[in-house]
Formats: sequence, structure tokens, C-alpha cells
Amino acid sequence: MTKNQLFENLSKLLQETFDIEPSRITPEARLRDDLDIDSIDAVDLLVKLKPVTGKRLPPEVFKSVRTIQDVVDALHGLLDDSVAA
Amino acid sequence: MLRKLERGWRILATGIAFSTFGLGGLGLRLLYFPLLQLFVRDRARRTRLARLAVHHTFRVFVEWMRILGVLTYRVEGVEKLARPGLLILANHPTLIDVVFLISLVPNADCVVKASLANNPFTRGPIEATGYLCNDSGPGLVQDCIRSVKAGNNLIIFPEGTRTPVNGPMKLQRGAANIAVRGPCDITPVTIRCEPIGLTKGTPWWRVPPAPMNFTIVVRDDIPVAPLLREAGTEALAARQLTTHLHDYFSTETQRHAGA
Repeated sequence: MTKNQLFENLSKLLQETFDIEPSRITPEARLRDDLDIDSIDAVDLLVKLKPVTGKRLPPEVFKSVRTIQDVVDALHGLLDDSVAA
Repeated sequence: MLRKLERGWRILATGIAFSTFGLGGLGLRLLYFPLLQLFVRDRARRTRLARLAVHHTFRVFVEWMRILGVLTYRVEGVEKLARPGLLILANHPTLIDVVFLISLVPNADCVVKASLANNPFTRGPIEATGYLCNDSGPGLVQDCIRSVKAGNNLIIFPEGTRTPVNGPMKLQRGAANIAVRGPCDITPVTIRCEPIGLTKGTPWWRVPPAPMNFTIVVRDDIPVAPLLREAGTEALAARQLTTHLHDYFSTETQRHAGA
């Protein structure tokens, strides 16, 4: 899955789950400060991302990310790992 | 002159009250809880007895502060708290709100600041009562739900910390998430303190011009089912409920200001 596809999937999920307008979802948008996603939301998001990525994501992923782009990169890194393995 | 004297007394009395509080916490830790540990084998029963001890200690402490002239208080609707498995949400104007609430609830559970578990005066009671600690992140929501389902009356301040003196009330979404994901109906309690004292950022010895007068009102339950049906996802329901609670606590605490 390309980073672009990952971004599209993530954007759709954020709109459906948290009712965030698509215009606010940019790669630079910060999850906590700009999109008002708290740690409880992050857990929700991880669960919903599972069918998209086909992988269980460790909750630590969200500890180190700040922006949407960080999430996309982290997801991409994880998927790459599984291809390589 | 008399006014100055009265105020001076209240500063001293507040100091006495807080010292008593610390000694009480230490006493429970060094005397009562070790005895519980020794004589009560069953862990659940021990926790229940420890919570009951804190409840009675706080009742005595509230009376003690009243006798000392630090505060006066009035409670309405306390009979609504005599049901098990409640999620009690309250606004948080002062340092001693939780003392009042636990003094009204025999089987209270609450979420405490992790730092209080390291404080020598509060550590004993916190360990013995098994109160929830706020450092466990998202797992805390599930722990809170489990506590309510087990029949405890869980006390939460949705603001997470005391209301700022200047500026609007701000609510975290944790409390709403507990209500929505439980699901648990909400038993709201409004706390009004006039004149206000023991606020965030004010040292304890800066006492208000007159004794603090507390009005604590237990209100009718807020059901969460209608909201859940409307919102679709739990995340959205929690957001809407947080907004609703914000408006509720802002207007209700203002309203009994005029009354």
C-alpha cells in the first residue's frame, strides 16, 4: 500500500469516526492540537486501522507520533517490515 | 478589628484542619490499615472496610472544619447517592470537593493523582482502598467501567483538575467515555462554594473574606442511551456528551449562584 493510499484510508477513518471535516485533515495536521484526538481516541483509531492494514498495531506507535504524516510513515514502516519478513 | 481577628483565626484554623488531615491519613496508614491487613484475610472485604474508614474519617473531617469555623455547608438530594454502581460526576471548584463527596458515599471509588500515592500522608489510604490511579492511560477508562459494574460508586471530576478562577471550565473527555462505553448513566453533583476558597493556584492560607459556604446538590440522573442511539460511534457520543456536560455544569453552577 502506498503512502498516498494510507493517507486516504486514514482520512476516511478520521471523518467517519470523529466527524472531522476533510479540509482539516492534512499531512501536517497535529493529532492532539489540531484534530483534538486524545489517547482514548488513539486506541479507537488503532482498532479501526487493523482491517485496513491487516496488522495489529502496537499502541506505542501513537506515543511517538504527532502529525498525520507521522502516522502514515509509521504505518508504512510497519507494512514494509511485514513484506520484508 | 474583629474582622481581622476572625480572618486570622480562620487562617490558623485552616492550618489546624490540614494538619489534622495529614495526621489522620498517617494514623490510618500506621494503625488501622495494618490491623485490617492482620485480621481480615479476604482482600475484597479489606478494600471495602478501608473505603468505609476513609468515608467516616472524611465525615468527621468535614464536621471538624465546620466546628473550626472554616466552612459551612448544605447538601441536597443525598438520598440519590444511596444506590450502588453509580457514576458520579461533579464540577471541581475547590481542593476539598473530593472530601465532601467521599463523606457522602460509603462505597466510593475515585481516581487519584499518581503523586498522592507517593505522599507519606496519603499513601496508606490510597493503597488500602485500591482507588484508581490516573497514570495508566487509556486503560483507565476500562478500569473505571469495571469499578462501576462491580457496584462501586465512582466519583470523577470531568475537568480533571480544579476549575481555573479566571476563565472558563474545560472538560476532559475521559468521564464521558466511561459513561458512553459502560454504558453508565450519570449522577451529576454540582458543587458551589461562595465565597470561593482553596482554589487552584491559591495558597491555603489565603482565606476568603468570610467562611466558605458550600452548597452541594445531587441532581437527577442523566441517561446515556438516547445519546448513544443518536451519535452513531462511541467517539462521537463521548464528544457530544462532553459538550452537554460542559453546558450542564456551567449553567447549573451559575444558577445556584443566584438562588
